[in-house]
Amino acid sequence: MSGLRPLHASRSAVLVAMAVLAAAVTLAMVGLRGPAPAQSQEQIVHEIAAGLRCPVCADLSAADSPAPLARQMRTQIADKLAQGDSPEEIRRSFIAAYGSSVLMTPPREGLGRLVYAFPFLALVVALGAGGVLLRRTLRRGPTTAAESRPARLTEADRRRVELALDRLRVEEP
Amino acid sequence: MSVLRGRPVLLTGVIVAVVAVVALLATGLSRGHTIEASPLVGKAAPDFHLQGLDGKPESAVRLSDLRGQVVVVNFWASWCAECRVEQPDLDQTWNRFRDAGVVVVGVDFQDTEGDARAYLAEAGSTYPVVVDTDSTAALAFGLRGVPETFVVDQRGEIVERVIGPVEADRLADRITGLLEGGVR
Repeated sequence: MSGLRPLHASRSAVLVAMAVLAAAVTLAMVGLRGPAPAQSQEQIVHEIAAGLRCPVCADLSAADSPAPLARQMRTQIADKLAQGDSPEEIRRSFIAAYGSSVLMTPPREGLGRLVYAFPFLALVVALGAGGVLLRRTLRRGPTTAAESRPARLTEADRRRVELALDRLRVEEP
Repeated sequence: MSVLRGRPVLLTGVIVAVVAVVALLATGLSRGHTIEASPLVGKAAPDFHLQGLDGKPESAVRLSDLRGQVVVVNFWASWCAECRVEQPDLDQTWNRFRDAGVVVVGVDFQDTEGDARAYLAEAGSTYPVVVDTDSTAALAFGLRGVPETFVVDQRGEIVERVIGPVEADRLADRITGLLEGGVR
């Protein structure tokens, strides 16, 4: 039966594999989840504005800010959409004037790429570490039921215990 | 960290990962508090056609009509305290260079007409002032507040952006360089 792995080792391996799989699925879901598709014109305007920073506010999007300039940005987005510009063209026009810092999330270029690559790098590292751990667990060899039982007393130990008990009985009758 | 003891490769990996995360966070946090140079510097200035503050048709300014001259585009507002600080410097620049092929254009940003007129009357400014009613020019120039000033060369290219009050001497150096066809 050399091909079969003992029960304890297999259970550990399955647990490690499940943990790695759960981490991989979670990361993949976070990485792949995208915004729900916009429906109305108003929703598209809101979606574009939500991705743009209000230039005169501290960390507020053009969709959330009550500042007049943010309101004007929303109007301009609506106007440009009505003229037939695509959301990407509209975003690019704001980047042309303000730079990429106008975006609420880092651009997928330059240093910003690292932010997007990080979850996938973490996934690769997690899978690698999980694989190494799994291999080690499986290599550790069979753990039999006899091994997991407490060691038996030798004859000498047994005699020593009996002597000690006899002494106690004499001292405390 | 007994797990890492005696495992130099793992220890190095952990250190590299921690340093990378800290560096990313530090970069992100520092970027959030600094204003990057305008991406428009070195590029064609966005054109605008804005009505004059006095409402007269002849007071309207189209930026592209000023091609061939050095143009100082100053975004301001009557409610802006720092605009009052730079006002004498702008007037000084206009008076010194107005006959040398330089135009100062004031662009009134998110203001009321009455307040803006009162402000200019008090300052005694004589250069052309237009009104950016719907902030179109402000957005096109990537404005983040007032005052902000853009120096546009004779070819219509933005050569400098000044955030905050301008200084007449610094402005004069830049303008002189452009007029002499040297420093840009």
